Amino acid sequence: MQRNPKELPSVLAQERRPAPDFTLPLLPPYRAEWGEAFRLGDHLGKKPILLNFWASWCYPACYEEAPVLESFWRRYRERVLFVGVNVQDKEAEAVRFVEQFGLSFPSVFDPRGRVGVDYGMYGVPETFLIDREGRVVLRHAGAVDEAALSRYLEEVLR
Amino acid sequence: MRLFLLVLLFWAGALAQETAPPPDLSPEVFQIARALRCPVCQGESAAESNSGVAVEMRRLIAEMLQEGKSPEEIKAFFVERYGDWILYEPPRRGLTLWAWVLPLVALLLLGLGLFAYFRPRPLPKELLEEAERRMKEPPA
Repeated sequence: MQRNPKELPSVLAQERRPAPDFTLPLLPPYRAEWGEAFRLGDHLGKKPILLNFWASWCYPACYEEAPVLESFWRRYRERVLFVGVNVQDKEAEAVRFVEQFGLSFPSVFDPRGRVGVDYGMYGVPETFLIDREGRVVLRHAGAVDEAALSRYLEEVLR
Repeated sequence: MRLFLLVLLFWAGALAQETAPPPDLSPEVFQIARALRCPVCQGESAAESNSGVAVEMRRLIAEMLQEGKSPEEIKAFFVERYGDWILYEPPRRGLTLWAWVLPLVALLLLGLGLFAYFRPRPLPKELLEEAERRMKEPPA
């Protein structure tokens, strides 16, 4: 058994597999800075990536972690890329969530949740950490807190 | 009689509607989905659940079938992502082989134990002698 049940075993993370690529439209608030669509492959292998699956209907877990993610993004944005994947949601509600928390890291829109299946996702929120080489090294199920997030980021930046 | 037939017809229609898959997906999709767990549900397969992930899994299965993939290839696709956990039937290899073998071993041991316990045993010699002696004795 794992010591921390939030660190669920993931086939991708256990075998350090290359992160599955995807191209998805960005939510409207990010289009000015990031363009219409976001392709993960363009960023893989450059710096570590934190991939966070979320939805506006995921209460309270997604609401708990959103401010934590934003504050860490502000602190780490030069060294780690944060990418949100909004799953099985309505665009208007997702945008409202983004505005509510002032989330400044880019989020893509995946209403069907196909990328989630590709990553072996169970449910939102779920966070994957991708190292500099573009390999998945960790999956965290449930809301991330400050302690866990700083541990993960330091580990991937070592 | 006619009324009875009519009722029967309606009843059969309602029953068929309950079990028939939605018209946009083929029964084969559901057959494969039934072997896969729904990741976000408890005790529901990807065929029964209406959760977003299960719906997407069914769509993926339908697409892969259209591409000409076999049911085994499709199941392997999900195992690649979720591990063996996604399968309702544990594969008969590796550690999960024990899930298949242990119940059989346990049944066998139980059978052997019961047989040994209830097996007819020859009576001890002195008891037999005693019984014989008593039979020969005139009744008191």
